[in-house]
Amino acid sequence: MVVLNFTLTPQAASKLHDLLVCLGKFSDTVAVEARREKFTFTALNSSKSAYAAVTLDGKLFFTKYECIPSSGGPDGRFTCSMYTKALLSVFKGRLYDPLGRDGAIDRCEVSVQERENETQCRFIVKMVCNQGVIKTYKLTYEAVDVMHALFDRSVAKNYWSMSSGVIKEYIEYFGTKTEMLDIFAGEDGRCVFKSYTEKISNGKEILKHPLVTAVAVSTSDFEQFTVQAGTHIVISVKDFKAIVVHADTLKTSLKAYYSQPTRPLQFSYGCDGLLCEFTLMTSGDYTGAPLTSTPAPQTLGSRGASRAPLTVTDRTSIRSDMPPPTEPASRRDRSGRLRNPGSRQSSSAAQEDPESLFIPDAQDARRREDDEESAWAPLDYEKEETLGWDASADHDASVFPTFRDSGSMSTTNMSDSNEVFEPTQRVSQIKGLW
Amino acid sequence: MRFKASIQNITTFTKLTASLNSLGPLAWVKLSEEQVCFTIIPEQGTQVWAVLSIDSIFRDIFVQSAANNVINLEVPLTSLNRALKSALNATSAQIRLTKKDNMPMLALTIVTTASSNALPPATANNDDGFDAPFDDEFGRGNRETIVTQEIPVRVLAPDTVAGLHEPQCRDPDVHIVLPPLMQLKSISDRFTKLALADTKSGSGTIASRTRLELAANMHGCLKMSIRTDALSISSVWTDLNNPELDPSQVVGGENGIAAHPSTRMKQLGSADGRSDEGWALVRIDGRDWGKVMSVGRLGGRVIACFCHEHALVLYVYLPQDDGDNESVLTYYVSSYSA
Repeated sequence: MVVLNFTLTPQAASKLHDLLVCLGKFSDTVAVEARREKFTFTALNSSKSAYAAVTLDGKLFFTKYECIPSSGGPDGRFTCSMYTKALLSVFKGRLYDPLGRDGAIDRCEVSVQERENETQCRFIVKMVCNQGVIKTYKLTYEAVDVMHALFDRSVAKNYWSMSSGVIKEYIEYFGTKTEMLDIFAGEDGRCVFKSYTEKISNGKEILKHPLVTAVAVSTSDFEQFTVQAGTHIVISVKDFKAIVVHADTLKTSLKAYYSQPTRPLQFSYGCDGLLCEFTLMTSGDYTGAPLTSTPAPQTLGSRGASRAPLTVTDRTSIRSDMPPPTEPASRRDRSGRLRNPGSRQSSSAAQEDPESLFIPDAQDARRREDDEESAWAPLDYEKEETLGWDASADHDASVFPTFRDSGSMSTTNMSDSNEVFEPTQRVSQIKGLW
Repeated sequence: MRFKASIQNITTFTKLTASLNSLGPLAWVKLSEEQVCFTIIPEQGTQVWAVLSIDSIFRDIFVQSAANNVINLEVPLTSLNRALKSALNATSAQIRLTKKDNMPMLALTIVTTASSNALPPATANNDDGFDAPFDDEFGRGNRETIVTQEIPVRVLAPDTVAGLHEPQCRDPDVHIVLPPLMQLKSISDRFTKLALADTKSGSGTIASRTRLELAANMHGCLKMSIRTDALSISSVWTDLNNPELDPSQVVGGENGIAAHPSTRMKQLGSADGRSDEGWALVRIDGRDWGKVMSVGRLGGRVIACFCHEHALVLYVYLPQDDGDNESVLTYYVSSYSA
C-alpha cells in the first residue's frame, strides 16, 4: 500500500509535458520510480542504445510531495510503467498560460490509488482549472521493476558544456533523414558536429543520399571544453536532436561526458529541481583514420582550465596517453580558409531599414519568411479544408430547456443506423437529398 | 574538372532552387564561366530551361574541365535547397565540386555567426531577468561557425547531355505580361480546388477535372477559366501590357513583324475582354500550373507567350538584372487537346 501524492504548479506541469515529449521520442512507455525524496521518469529505447532519466526533486520541483513506499523503509520505492502517449494526453501543451486561455490550469494534483480494499489501481491526475473546473484523469499503469543505466563519470575524461540555444542553432543546419552524429574534437581549436548517414547505395541512388552537414565550432564558444584532441564519438542524430530541443525548453547548458568510442556517453542538464540524464551508446571512429604516434598537443586552452573544476589537472595528464587520429581529408582541404571569412554581410541584413529604431526580431523575420515561402509552395490539394467542430460537449444542450426525444427513442435510432457519420460529413454521403 | 565559386546572392539562389524543386527532384546544371544553366525535364508536366548570368548568383567563379571548360552535373534539388537554406544568415558562402570516397559532391562552405537569440543564458538562477549576458557575448569569441554541407551529385558526360534540346515552338499568337503571380496563383489554386471538390464522387480522371483554360488577347486581356459538369468560372484581367516586338529580334525585321501571328491577332478582339474573338487559348493542368507559379517567389517580370491550342511559354526575368547579361527562366507548358 503506497502513498504517493504530489501537487504541481502550472509551470511545473508544463515542464512535465516538455519532458514527456522528449522521452516519447525514445520510447512508447515511460517508467516511473517514486522515492521519498524524488520522483524519476525513465525511458529505454527499443534497441536499448539510449536510456533517459529525468529526476524531479521532491522539495524543489513540486509544491507538495509525499511518497511513502509500501516497503523498503527509507530506500523503498514505488515503480510502475505507463504509456507516454496516455500521459501526454493528460499533460497537454499550454497547461501554463500566463493569460489564462483555454487549457491553462491553476494547479495539478496527482495521486496513486493502490490499496487492497479498492478494486482498481489507478494513477489519478486532477487538473484544477480556472472557474472551479476540475478535470480528473485516471490512468492505468503496469507494475514493473525499474532499472537504471549506470554511468561512471570518473572514467569519462572528456567533458564539454554549451548553451542549449546555441547547439539548437547547429542542429537546425542538419539535413533531414540523417542518422549519425560524429562529435569530433579537432586539434585546431575547433569542435565539429557532423551529421551523416552510412553509405547506402551506388549508381543513380547516390543522388538520394542525404546531406552530410558538418558544423565546425570554435571551442571557445563552449562554456567548458576538455576533450582529448582527435576524439571522434558517434551517436544517433535523432537522440541528439531530441535532447537538445528539450534542453532548450529549459534554457540551460547541455553537458556531455564521455571517454572513448564504444563506451557510453552521458548528456546532462537541468535546473529548478529537474535533472535530465541521457546515457547513450556510442560507436567507433567511423573514418577509421590511422593513429599517428605524435602525442596530442595541449592546445585545449588555458581558458578551459581556469574555468573547469579542480579535476581538470587529472584529465590533462591522462589526455596525452591517447594519440589522435589524423585529420580527415575533408577538413584539411578547408583549413586554409578557416580563418578567412568573407567580409560580405548577409543579404537579409542589408535589406533592413537603416533608419529603423528597432532591432528586427530574427525569429519574427524567419516566421514571416516561412509564411511567405509556404504561400509560394504548390498547393496541397489532398489537405482537407474543414470547418472546426467543437466535440467537447461543453455546451450541453440540457442546460437549456430544449426539446429532445425520449431516451429509448434515441437509442433505437442509434442502433438502427450502422453507418457512422463524422461530424464534418461530405456532401456525397448524404443520400436522398439530391 | 574543377568548379569553385562564392555565392553572391544566397536568397536568390535559395528561392530559385525552391521554385525549380516544385517541378522535379533533379536538375541538370551546366556550369561555365559565362553562365549557369538549370534545366528540369520532368517525366510529365512543365519543363524549365533557366539561363542565369554568373553574377546573379555567383562571384569569383572558376570552372575548368576537359570539355571546353563546361561541367554538366545532375543535382538533387531538395538537398541543394536544404543546404542553401542553412546559408541564409551567413556572412559568406562558397560552393565547389569535390570528391569524397570517389563520389562527386558539391560542398557548400558557410561562414556564419550565431544570432543573438541563442546567446548562452545568464546564470541558472537569474531571477530578475535583467542581468543581460553581455560579458559572455564579448568574452567568448565572436561565435563564428563554419558549416559544411555536402550535396551528392552525378557528373554527366558531354554525350549524355548532347541529346537534350530545348523545345522549339512556333511564333506565338499572343504575348502578354502576366499580372502579379501571387494573385494569379491564389485564383488558379482556388479554381483547381473547387473543381476537385465538385467531382470528388463523379467520374473522370483527376487530370481531366483540374484542366484550366488560360487565354489572352493582344489587347491586354487575360482570362482564366475552369469548367466542370456543375460549374463554370472564369476571371478576366484587363489593362495588361502586350510588349512590342523588337524588329532586331524577329526574323525578317519589320517585314517579319508584319507577318507575325500576333500582328494578325491585334486586329481581333477588344480591350474589355468581352469579345469572343482574338483569344489565344491553352488548356493546362491546374496542379502543374500551381507548381509553375511557385517561381513567383523570385519576384521577376513574367511574359507569357500563347500558341493557340498548342503551348504556353513563360519567360521569367530575374529582377536585379541590368540589360546586358540577362537571367531568364523559360517554362514550357504544353496544351492539352480539347
